[in-house]
Amino acid sequence: MSTFDRTWRKLAAAARRTPPAGDESAPYGFSTRVAALAFAAQPPSPSAFARLSLRAAVVACLLAIVAVAVNFSAITGAFDDDSAVAANDDPIAEVINQGS
Amino acid sequence: MPEDQPFDLAGCLDRVRKRDQDAARDLVEHLHPLVIRIARAHLPRRVAEEDLAQEIFLKMFTRIDQYQGNVPFTHWVSRIAVTTCIDQLRAQKRRPELRWADLSERETQVLDSAVSNENDVAPDDALEARELVHKLLDRLSPQDRLVIQYLDLDQKTIAEISALTGWNQTLVKVRAFRARRKLQRFYRELTESERL
Repeated sequence: MSTFDRTWRKLAAAARRTPPAGDESAPYGFSTRVAALAFAAQPPSPSAFARLSLRAAVVACLLAIVAVAVNFSAITGAFDDDSAVAANDDPIAEVINQGS
Repeated sequence: MPEDQPFDLAGCLDRVRKRDQDAARDLVEHLHPLVIRIARAHLPRRVAEEDLAQEIFLKMFTRIDQYQGNVPFTHWVSRIAVTTCIDQLRAQKRRPELRWADLSERETQVLDSAVSNENDVAPDDALEARELVHKLLDRLSPQDRLVIQYLDLDQKTIAEISALTGWNQTLVKVRAFRARRKLQRFYRELTESERL
């Protein structure tokens, strides 16, 4: 055994003999303070209903995006036809067309 | 809570998860001896043990929903305590070196006696021996210090250290081996340094 090992063992053995440092129970008011701080810092965990609602909202958004994407051409086509339809329904345009 | 009744940990945890402050207080009271022992054993310089214990408990409450029950709750809390201590030790600068000039007169005498004398250190010198041990340990990295502290001062087994820290047993053994070699180097540097 080296000098270091021997010395270290003796020092560690002596260190182990030192009395434990003080009382191990929580000081007065410590647990109340910690419990209050813990719940003040922590937002309440969402309820099952809130979590389900959030998931449902995400799914609904995705479905809406998919629906728009699938029907995109139909939607834009409907707006293109509007001007023609509007022109056919416009009596003034009809009069002007007849005059020309 | 009545002293003679065993502590209902599972029931208390359920109530804490429902944000019952009385249960949280009971849990802190119940775990305080465990947490303060770890905090005192690995307390960095200039950090009050109560502040460190408070930080450990706050971390425990923040993560309490993550506790799955795979390990005993006290082990889970010990790991939080150990990692918090390691983080705090990391934040403080390690002692650049340890020289004779850093030791008090009594500490020098105790070290001399431990080196030259065949007998154990006298009981009256236990506090100085403890201070010497901690001055040497302060030079190690937080993880190395932790392993040596558990092995040589708290006399825990490799399996116990593994359970407390979450490190596997091989890692604990390797860390202990390397830490001892470093400790030996620091000791050599100290004894070869110039005496005042």
